[in-house]
Amino acid sequence: MTDLPGYPSRRNFLKASAAGVALSGLAAQAKAQETTPPVPLEDYDRAYLNADEWAFVMAATARLIPSEGDGPGAIETRVPVFIDLQLAGDYGSADDWYMEGPHVPDAEPARGWQTPLNPAEIYRKAIPVFNAWCEQTHGAAFAELEAETQDAALTALQDGDVALDPEIRDFFSILLANTKEGYFADPQYGGNHEMQSWVYIGFPGARAAYRAWPERHNEKYPLGPVSISGERA
Amino acid sequence: MKTFLRILAGLVIIGVVALLAFIFVPVQRTEPAQALAADWEPAEGQGEYVLDAADCVACHTSDDGERLAGGRAIASPMGTIWSTNITPDPETGIGEWSYADFRAAMVDGLEPDGTHLYPAMPYENYRLMSEEDIRALYDYLMTEVEPVSNEVQETELSFPFNLRFGIRAWNWLALTHGPGFTPADVPELQQRGQYLVEGPGHCAACHSPRSKFMSQDGVTADEENFLAGGVIDGWNAPALRGEGSDLAKWSVGEVAAYLATGRNAHSTANGEMGLVVEHSLQKLTDEDVLAMAAFLKGVDGDAVDLPESFAAAGPTSLEAAEADETGSATAEMLASADPDMPLGARLYMDNCIGCHFATGKGAPEMFPELQGNSMVVGSETMPLISVILNGVEVPSTAKRPMSLRMQGYGERLSDDEVAELVTWLRGAWGNDAPAVSPADVAKVREAGEAH
Ligand code: HEC
Ligand code: HEC
Repeated sequence: MTDLPGYPSRRNFLKASAAGVALSGLAAQAKAQETTPPVPLEDYDRAYLNADEWAFVMAATARLIPSEGDGPGAIETRVPVFIDLQLAGDYGSADDWYMEGPHVPDAEPARGWQTPLNPAEIYRKAIPVFNAWCEQTHGAAFAELEAETQDAALTALQDGDVALDPEIRDFFSILLANTKEGYFADPQYGGNHEMQSWVYIGFPGARAAYRAWPERHNEKYPLGPVSISGERA
Repeated sequence: MKTFLRILAGLVIIGVVALLAFIFVPVQRTEPAQALAADWEPAEGQGEYVLDAADCVACHTSDDGERLAGGRAIASPMGTIWSTNITPDPETGIGEWSYADFRAAMVDGLEPDGTHLYPAMPYENYRLMSEEDIRALYDYLMTEVEPVSNEVQETELSFPFNLRFGIRAWNWLALTHGPGFTPADVPELQQRGQYLVEGPGHCAACHSPRSKFMSQDGVTADEENFLAGGVIDGWNAPALRGEGSDLAKWSVGEVAAYLATGRNAHSTANGEMGLVVEHSLQKLTDEDVLAMAAFLKGVDGDAVDLPESFAAAGPTSLEAAEADETGSATAEMLASADPDMPLGARLYMDNCIGCHFATGKGAPEMFPELQGNSMVVGSETMPLISVILNGVEVPSTAKRPMSLRMQGYGERLSDDEVAELVTWLRGAWGNDAPAVSPADVAKVREAGEAH
C-alpha cells in the first residue's frame, strides 16, 4: 500500500478499543487492511486499449482530474484502468443498448446516442484524429505535450474546435463522463483505487446504515468508507 | 486346581448361555397401556395430523425421493443410518405389518422379527404417544398412503454397533419411562402441550442433553434435565426452560409465533429447527401450538399468561426495539461511528448493521436479535460462522409466507475477519461467550454449507 503525498497515512493502528468491547486481546486494525499493491500503471496488462490509446487516456485523464492540488487525481485512483476495463466489457460494446438503425449521427445532441458506433469504437476512431490534430496544431501527439498545452487542446476538443466526424462528435463528453465514473465508482470496477475519492469527499460507501445520523446536523460523520467487496479505508 | 478349573468352565458356560439368551430369547413387546374398543375409528384426518405433529416425513423421505419412501441418510456418531420405507408397499415397505407390529416399532423400537431399531428412530419419545394416535397413524399409513416400491440402502455400522442385539441392553437403560403419557398437574391446555412436546413432537430428542450412554437425559417433564439444552449435529438446540434461556424472556405468544412461523419478535428458526417448523409445527392447529407454548412457559411452575392470538394476519407494523441497558454501551459506540472502534465492530458496521442495527435488536419477525441470541452465544460456534459465511434461509410458513434469506459473506470476509466479527458479536451488547479463532472459521469454510 502506498501513501500518497498530502494524505494522512492509512496505516494507523488501532488505539485502545472503544466502549470496553475488545475481546480478542489483539488490537486489530479497524481502518485499513493488508492488501497486495496492484500492478503499476506502466506494467498494466491492457484489456482493450492499444499502446497509443493507453498513452492518450493516461495523459488526458491526468489533466481532467489532476494529481496536484486538492485531493487525489485520476492517476492515483487508476481511472485509466477503469476506462480500459469498461471499454473491454458490456459498456464498450454497447451490449444492452438499442443499436439498430436508423442512425442520424448529426442529430442534435438532445436526441441521445445517434451514432452507429459503440463507445469502444468511438475511442478507437477519435483518439488518432485528435492526436493528428495535436501534431498539426502543437507539433506532437497529445501525450507528448506540456500540461498547459494539453489543457488548451482538451479545451479545443470540448468546444468543438477540433473537426470530428458526426459519428465521433461526442468523444470529449464521453471521455469526461467515463473519467468521473472511474473516479467515483466502486473500486471493484478498477478505478477509485482504495476508495481515495470517497475518502476525499467524505462519502462512506456501501455501508447503508445511518439511522443514528439524520438528526445530527453539522456534525462530521467520522468513519471511513467501505466498498462493495468489503474493503475498508 | 481341578475344582477351580471346573468352576471356571462353569462360569464360562453360564456366561455363554446368558449371552445366547440375551441374543436369541425373543424380546418382549410392551402391552398397550390402554385398550381401544373393537369398533374404534380414528377421526377424519387424525392420522395425517399425527404424522405431521410427529414429523415422520422429515426422516422417512429422502431429498428427491417419494414421500415416506425412506432412504434419508441420518448421520450418527456411529455412522450413517438409513431411514426405512414406511409406505404400505408389501415388499420394500410396511405393507405386511399388523397393527401390533407397527406399535412395537413405535413403542419398543422393534421390527416384526424382533430385530432392534436404532434409536435414530425416536421411539424413546413415540412410546409416550396415546394408543389412539398410534392407531390413527397406522390406519393412515396403511390406507391413505400410496405404496411406493423403494428398496432402501441397508444400514451398516461398524463393529460393535452393527450388533443390533446390543440395543437391547441400551433399551434397558434408556426406556425407563412409559409407555403411554402421564400428564403433569397443570391445566388441560398445558397437558395437551406436554403431550405434544413429550410424545409426537419428540422435542427432547434434540433439546435434552444426552446421558453418558447417549440416551436422552430427560424424556418427560418430571425429569430434571428435560429440555435443558442439547447439541445436535454441531448445533446448540438451546435450553427451552430455566433462567437464562430465551424462553424465560419470551411471552407465550412469542413462543407460539416462533413454533408456527419460524420467527418472532426476537429470533428465527434455522438449521434443524427450521425444518421442524417447515415440515411439522406450521401444520398444527393454533390451539395446539398455543398449548405447546403454554406448556413450555409453565414447565418450571410459573404462571402462564395466554395471549388472545399470535402471529395474527397482517398487515402488521412492528417497531424495532431500542437498546436496553445492557446493550446501550455497544449501541452508542456503534452509533458514534468512531474510526477507533475495534475491527470486529467495524466489520459489523460495514456488513451487518443495516439489518441487525446498532442496538443488536434486529427487527421483529424479520432480522433476529443478536443480543443474547442462543446461536450467537452458544457453546457451538459452527452455526454462527456458517450463517455468516454461507447465509441462511428461514422457511416460508402458512402464516408468514415470506421466506427470509440472509446472504453469505464468505467472499467478502476473510477467515481472520470473520473470526474478529464473531468474537466481537459474542461480547457485544452484554453477550459473554469465548472468542473464536481464524482456524475455527477455516474449518467451517472448508466444510461448506451446513444447512
Ligand atoms: C429422527 C428421524 C426419524 C423420525 C422423526 C421418524 N423415524 Fe422412523 N425410523 C428412523 C430410522 C433412522 C429408522 C431405521 C432405524 C434402523 O434401521 O434401525 C426408522 C425406522 C422406522 C420403522 C421401522 C421400519 C422397518 O422397515 O424396519 C417404522 C415403522 C418407522 N420408523 C415409523 C416412523 C413413524 C410412523 C414416524 C412418525 C411418527 C417416524 N418413524 C419418525 C428415523 C425416524
Ligand atoms: C432435530 C432437532 C430438533 C428438534 C426435534 C426440535 N428442535 Fe427446537 N431447535 C433445534 C435447534 C438446532 C435450534 C436452534 C435453532 C437456531 O439456532 O436457529 C432449536 C431452537 C428452538 C427454539 C428457539 C430457542 C431459542 O433459544 O432461540 C424453540 C422455542 C424450539 N427449538 C422449540 C422446539 C420444540 C417445541 C420442539 C418439539 C416440537 C423442538 N424444538 C424440536 C433443534 C430441534
